[in-house]
Amino acid sequence: MEQQTFYYDNKIVRLFLNATLLWGVVAFLYGLLLALQLAFPVFNLGMEYSTFGRIRPIHTNAAIFAFVGNAIFAGAYYSMQRVLKTRMFSDLLSKINFWGWQLIIVLAALTLTLGMTTSKEYAELEWPIDILIAIVWVVFGWNMFGTIYKRRVKHIYVAIWFYIASFVAVAVLHIVNSLEVPVTLFKSYSVFAGVQDGLVQWWYGHNAVAFFLTTPFLGLMYYFLPKAANRPVFSYKLSIIHFWTLVFLYIWAGPHHLLYSSLPDWAQTLGVVFSVMLIAPSWGGMLNGLLTLRGVWDKVRENPILKFMAVAVTAYGMSTLEGPMLSLKSVNAISHFTDWTIAHVHIGAMGWNGFLTFGMAYWLIPRMYDTKLYSIKLANFHFWLGTLGILFYAIPLYWAAFTQTLMWKEFNADGMLAYPNFLETVTQIMPMYYTRIVGGTLFLLGMVVMLYNLIKTAYSGKFIAEEMASAPAREVISSSRVAGETVHSWLERRPTPFYILIALAVLVGGIVEIVPMIAIKSNVATIATVTPYTPLELQGRDVYISEGCVNCHSQLVRPFRSETERYGEYSKAGETVYDHPFLFGSRRIGPDLARTGVVGGKMYKNATWHYNHLQNPQALNAQSNMPPYPWLIESDVDVSLTEAKVRAMMSLGVPYTEDEAKMANDLYMNQANLITASLKESGINVEPTKKIVALIAYLHRLGKDITMSKQADGTTTNADSNTDKTAQQ
Amino acid sequence: MAEVYKDEESKLMDHDFDGIKELDNPPPPWIMWVLYFTIAWSVVYMLVYHVFKVADLQDAEYANEMASVVQNAGNANTNVVAMTEEEMLAAGEKLFADKTCITCHGPVGEGNAIGPNLTDNAWIHGGSKEAIFNVIKNGVPEKGMTPYKDQITDQNIESLVVYIQKKLVGSNPPNGKAAQGDSIVN
Repeated sequence: MEQQTFYYDNKIVRLFLNATLLWGVVAFLYGLLLALQLAFPVFNLGMEYSTFGRIRPIHTNAAIFAFVGNAIFAGAYYSMQRVLKTRMFSDLLSKINFWGWQLIIVLAALTLTLGMTTSKEYAELEWPIDILIAIVWVVFGWNMFGTIYKRRVKHIYVAIWFYIASFVAVAVLHIVNSLEVPVTLFKSYSVFAGVQDGLVQWWYGHNAVAFFLTTPFLGLMYYFLPKAANRPVFSYKLSIIHFWTLVFLYIWAGPHHLLYSSLPDWAQTLGVVFSVMLIAPSWGGMLNGLLTLRGVWDKVRENPILKFMAVAVTAYGMSTLEGPMLSLKSVNAISHFTDWTIAHVHIGAMGWNGFLTFGMAYWLIPRMYDTKLYSIKLANFHFWLGTLGILFYAIPLYWAAFTQTLMWKEFNADGMLAYPNFLETVTQIMPMYYTRIVGGTLFLLGMVVMLYNLIKTAYSGKFIAEEMASAPAREVISSSRVAGETVHSWLERRPTPFYILIALAVLVGGIVEIVPMIAIKSNVATIATVTPYTPLELQGRDVYISEGCVNCHSQLVRPFRSETERYGEYSKAGETVYDHPFLFGSRRIGPDLARTGVVGGKMYKNATWHYNHLQNPQALNAQSNMPPYPWLIESDVDVSLTEAKVRAMMSLGVPYTEDEAKMANDLYMNQANLITASLKESGINVEPTKKIVALIAYLHRLGKDITMSKQADGTTTNADSNTDKTAQQ
Repeated sequence: MAEVYKDEESKLMDHDFDGIKELDNPPPPWIMWVLYFTIAWSVVYMLVYHVFKVADLQDAEYANEMASVVQNAGNANTNVVAMTEEEMLAAGEKLFADKTCITCHGPVGEGNAIGPNLTDNAWIHGGSKEAIFNVIKNGVPEKGMTPYKDQITDQNIESLVVYIQKKLVGSNPPNGKAAQGDSIVN
């Protein structure tokens, strides 16, 4: 058949790869800064823009969307052209994809620094950026589908299956989880509330891991690993089985982030069982990667690229076994809210995503520059720096997690908490936090060594912007199955039905979990005494969100004696029905705050305490690692937005009256004056419009409603929950 | 072109994606067994918790945990050992620092913006042994004094009271907060 000549676009690959490396350095630097801040609060640098609560989402977003995101595009744009034997569908779309994505990253860094955040993990960006993400993502999909339709090969390779699944799933997840009502250009409220918002968020959050950090990288693995090893893929059948089981099962597992929360039991159970069922599909990918290296392990010893890839695949296997284990309720009871989760995700992020990206970069640059890698030795050095970095990062954190969780749960012979002061459990794990800094530094150092090596490599060669290739045109055959063709083989040459099937597989789990959770009332039993936040508390809540308090403080008391003894009554679904967004949190670097408004409870502190503590936590507790927040005393709440915020809440069904909306600021000032008056008694003079007043009002509200319901009810025991009664009414 | 070993040639499929070949190997049987086992386990798990309800879900689990504590414990304030005043003072001093009394009352009880001075002879809620004991045990919630009954045993609270009355009161530290409260004890 006649050969057609065409050119692969390497320029777009190089752009994405450069961005990967640049943002990688940024993400690692931010990570290192966070590690330093946790050990030494002075590294918060005394500014709101550089304080932990704002830096943490920048680190996670930079690592996930900037570093890994650009790596996905670099690898996908390179591999897609080659396995489909065609140039990308549109150079213009490629460019929009690239520059649009970088614009999003810059906007993300700016807005998060300024405290503009939705607070939903890995979905913190405000609504205009959400829209931009959706547009750029669709551009990527459009470009990919166009390329698939104009391909010269008959069948679509397994790498592309994973890219398609990633595109479809991320589009759906992003759009649903970003449904929000705007108040201003950079402030919005999630349309979902409380535990429903939690379910949607973790359906998204878990599947950001699945369809952004995992499936695209499996696609990259299926191209770059057999290429680098020069070996055939171990099993085509395994590819099929693990692909379909993975995309179908993954989407269900989100509720494992909400075990022992106020999420209904049935949803928690789905989260548990689907996580456990994910072991084999995940390991299927690992096995297909490792078994492809069968027979070339001698090469793995010498070739740093294969070394990076082998460790990446192994790290993938480890974290995908660990994940299901963490999803078992008995394990989760120990691990949740500790550094175990942090260690777990870093095995995935540094090991699987980091190392596969490094291997890919070492493989791509010499090829695109038609030269040899400048130094194998330096690449090996990077490999060891990276590996040691991961170990020095993760092992101390596992240790920290066990230490802290055991301290949280320990009771003494008198039947009292052995460590009632939360701070004791933080001080105890400080040595592990110092070690973590060493790990992060090593990992960053490795990255710098790689940059040097790659720049040297690039200078020694000449960039091939347009790489010539040739292939015969795709032969035209019947759209129905031909004799001897298996169903899957037929599907692989029929992209449209393939997309539809993938979309169905991805959608089922989300629909089954989310729709009943939103639609069926009994899933969130209402509590009569729970009322909407006052205008002041609402603004205070937004201060809490903006400062990123949720990054260190949970608002979710789990039904364990060790938690109800420490914090107070365990959290009920009906408490959070007006919480747009929910603020359960995922890590307790500081204590839980769900009961800070229960007067006479263990967590209640008076306004003066909060004022002094927020101003300078170390003045109260020398060993505290909480950052100081002196600007909360200096800066004002934008009260011109109070009414708009109340009205936005009304549009979401929060039962404020028309009068409350109109008089929002009067109500605001009345309540604020009470707080400033009580502060004045302690000799503190502060204007009622300052942020700290609103934040104190919010903290004094948390958990208050449920105490009132207990008094009204006359019940005194925790186990006798009001929610059950209201549920039956 | 990918390196293919002799024993693999028969399994080599006619797939070729940019030089990547695929083998027609079956998945390793054990991974399929893991898949089947986890599916079966999941079915059993759901039946156990939601159909036959033979295992406790979280609310019942919590109720059981609390019930077992009520049976086993409840002796928090009965393990009293005889202590000399010296021992009580030492224990009280340690408790004063460990239990974060210092956060609101200062390292030597001098008081700060949050809590009152404990070294003068003015008391807001009474300066008798019983009154101080009661404030530590049950707190003064509306003022922000945390109830410590779940954190400190009665005997330890007694040690604290002894420490406050014998060591702090009258110590006249520098930077002492102005006297508050009208209950004067001489």
